[in-house]
Amino acid sequence: MTEPELTSESTVYVLYIASTPEQVWNAITSSAFTTQYFFGRGVESDWNEGSAWNLRKADGTIDVWGLVRKADPPRTLVVTWNVRGMEGQQQAPPPECVVTYQVEEAGDGVVRLTMTEAHPTPIPVEWLEGGRRGWPMILSGLKSLLETGKPLPLNTPSSPQSQKRSFHVE
Amino acid sequence: MSNSRFFYVTYIRTTPEKLWQALTAPEFTRQYWAGTWQDSEWKPGSSWKLMIPDGRVGDSGEVVEIEPGKRLVLTWRNEFMPELRAEAASRMTCELEPMGDTVKLTITHESETPDSKLIDSVSNGWPHLLASLKSLLETGSPLEETRHWPEGM
Repeated sequence: MTEPELTSESTVYVLYIASTPEQVWNAITSSAFTTQYFFGRGVESDWNEGSAWNLRKADGTIDVWGLVRKADPPRTLVVTWNVRGMEGQQQAPPPECVVTYQVEEAGDGVVRLTMTEAHPTPIPVEWLEGGRRGWPMILSGLKSLLETGKPLPLNTPSSPQSQKRSFHVE
Repeated sequence: MSNSRFFYVTYIRTTPEKLWQALTAPEFTRQYWAGTWQDSEWKPGSSWKLMIPDGRVGDSGEVVEIEPGKRLVLTWRNEFMPELRAEAASRMTCELEPMGDTVKLTITHESETPDSKLIDSVSNGWPHLLASLKSLLETGSPLEETRHWPEGM
């Protein structure tokens, strides 16, 4: 078996939202929002440092989980991030990564949100690329939801078992 | 191969036709792209200029490929900042792909200059103006800071 190519590159995605830091923080940390833009997943945690957090799918299963490393509302949220391996794939899940959300005011009524997915332990390149396909969809949806009250009608990318499903919630 | 590269994807609730118009028509770009407009005939081989509101040329280049509603490739050289102007021309590729009621917009801006200052500069600019473009198309209002050319620049 060939070893997968590994990388410790980070993914950084910056976006600007017509909103307030508090609203952006809520959109990241409350299930009522995340179910509308995070491919149907509800987020769960008490958001205390050291607490567990997870993303729960509509069918009740959890496929992303970790610990809250830092929570400084509404500015900074740092979580460890583990994902379950994809169904029907031989490949083992990648090592834990660290996701940081930085929320800053960027002028008149605008917030700059910077998401950084860092890899203290190198991960296979294809998992990095999967994240790079997913984050723009997720965060574009977050922006639309906060600015228009409506999520974007996007399907989950790449993961074969979920491609049939639309996460369009009106 | 490129030595410096900026890559950004955003999804916008719109049509490829409206997005194309918003990317190329002066009455749209002036609203979200710091008051600038683009001077071009939009044909392969045409010259292309990004015009600063005070009449200066901000950037210039040539239309390499154009397929309205789908794809635009430009060469792109900075004209108003000496340090950036000294670099070889960069290349900007813009791709539009309809996905249901949204359009996936991909911007790739690359340069053969290692550690390109131009790519550094546009890496800060693109996310801001693309966010403003998305707001304009989805809500009718661009983001405040991108509406005008920055004073003293």
